[in-house]
Amino acid sequence: MSVRSKGMSLRKLLGLLISYGVLILVTVVLMLPVFWFLLTSVKAESEFVSWPIRVFPAVPQWSNYVKAVTWFPFARHAWNSFFLATTTSILTIITSSLAGFAFARINVPERNKLFRVIIAMLIVPGIVTLIPQFIVYARLKLTNTYWPWILGALSGSPYFIFMFRQFFTGIPRELEDAAEVDGAGPFRIFWQIFLPNSLPVIATAFIFNFNGVWGDWLMPTLYLTDRNTTLAVKLAQGIRNPHAESVFIYTVSMAGCVIFILPMVITFFLAQRHILQGVVTSGLKG
Amino acid sequence: MFKSSAVWLLGDQTGRRRLSSRAWRKRVTFYLFISPWVIGFVALYLIPLVLGLLTSTTNYDGTDLAHLKFVRLDNYARAFSDPEAAFTAGRTLLWVALNLPAWLLLSFMLALILNQGLRGRGIFRTLYYLPSVMPAVATVWTWKIFLDNNFGLLAAIVDWILPGAVIPWLTKYALGSMTLVSLWGGLGSGMVIFLAGLQGIPRELEEAARIDGANRLQVFGYVTIPLITPVIFFQLIMGLIGGFQALVIPLLLVSGYSSRTPPRSLYLYMVYTYNQIFVYQRFGYGTALLWILFAVILSLTLLVFATQRHWVHYEVEAEGER
Repeated sequence: MSVRSKGMSLRKLLGLLISYGVLILVTVVLMLPVFWFLLTSVKAESEFVSWPIRVFPAVPQWSNYVKAVTWFPFARHAWNSFFLATTTSILTIITSSLAGFAFARINVPERNKLFRVIIAMLIVPGIVTLIPQFIVYARLKLTNTYWPWILGALSGSPYFIFMFRQFFTGIPRELEDAAEVDGAGPFRIFWQIFLPNSLPVIATAFIFNFNGVWGDWLMPTLYLTDRNTTLAVKLAQGIRNPHAESVFIYTVSMAGCVIFILPMVITFFLAQRHILQGVVTSGLKG
Repeated sequence: MFKSSAVWLLGDQTGRRRLSSRAWRKRVTFYLFISPWVIGFVALYLIPLVLGLLTSTTNYDGTDLAHLKFVRLDNYARAFSDPEAAFTAGRTLLWVALNLPAWLLLSFMLALILNQGLRGRGIFRTLYYLPSVMPAVATVWTWKIFLDNNFGLLAAIVDWILPGAVIPWLTKYALGSMTLVSLWGGLGSGMVIFLAGLQGIPRELEEAARIDGANRLQVFGYVTIPLITPVIFFQLIMGLIGGFQALVIPLLLVSGYSSRTPPRSLYLYMVYTYNQIFVYQRFGYGTALLWILFAVILSLTLLVFATQRHWVHYEVEAEGER
């Protein structure tokens, strides 16, 4: 703002210097682990375990990335993660937006009371429901299937219901009034007017849910066995060399992790504005 | 006259009936729209919660129903006399006491700096948020190889500053390390929310205070801070609820690949509960521990809510904010 104004006082300049100094320092501190993580993924294992440390690899080992996807059934586990993340996102968006619409537009006397239940659900610690849910699913013999994800998504998410409700409340009434005169029922209004007009929220909810399921370690650890589990669980175990007594290899494991986080980082850069807006409205962490 | 009044009555009745049938139809539509959520809420939240509560009064081991016994409040009595539960609860309190204030303070400070309208603040905001995008598994690997004493970058930096010094990051100081990991992954989202709150403060208020002769510190203390207290309040509640539930990061950060017991330093309450349930199959005892945690989180949340009127200011209803 005032960077260019001529008569800048010394004090202002000093303040500016301090501000930028702090910002750059924080950037360095935050990025240092990322830098090490990325460099490790292209080192030879012998370079990584040497002391004193070698910061840069002599020759970047891009083959680590090939090893990461061939040393274990990477594609299968990635598909499992992708399938779960996509399916649950679609289902939870449908059910959450339906409920969000009802809370925004269909006025019944008990609406606000029910909405308060949703708000209360936001502050119930997730772990308190997760473990009893596991006990129930285990008794129903639904462990080692994807049903816990599907059923959970079908019931919608209080976060997304809240998000959709907030967004739908802001849509001008004139749009639906005209449709109502034409004889459109609430479902048609929802489907043909509200949903097409809320692509940013849909995208945000999709990204949040996709990232949450794709990156989740706890639920697949509880529910799934080795074969049908997700990439996150496999990568948490680390990647081993199948040709050499299954020795754990750091560098290849890091390469696997880089591929694992790539979809999230890319969508973050593409949809940053929506994601940050979503963080603000729901307090959700991406 | 009788007839007309009958018509009038009848007319009124049909009118009322039409009206009430419309209201009724509206209600049916409303419940149809929210039915997936209602069914899910009952089947996936209420029922498991009640069953979890019932489980905590039994000796359930996860499979055996033939020897299921009702043990009344024994599991709760046991929890309160279990030294391990007390120890892990203490570590958890320490973890929350370390992490929560540091997170609130640092993310607020970053938001304040970025709120000055400096050039390039968009780039900084992106970079600070980036770690929040990383899922726990990748975060933990990143920090494991960063903190490793044999080949980590931080060990090398420490060794360069203080030759020969070795800091046991992932054993003795694991709790402190987890705070670092958690701040690294959480500063971005905290900052984004504070930034939005700061941008919601009407500029005119701060300018008016400046014109009235307040210096920058006074504006900050008497205008900015009071107006940002609702955001601090929200963040405090969310941080409190999240902090006590910490499970995945401690499980992954310091465990070997076979053992799930972290070093004493990072033996948090949820890790202990998790082990009781999934390693020792003590579902009854584990769910009792879980319900105690729930009660603690709930009472702390209510406590913070109760203090709200002493320090949270809602006077200014900023346009479009509330």
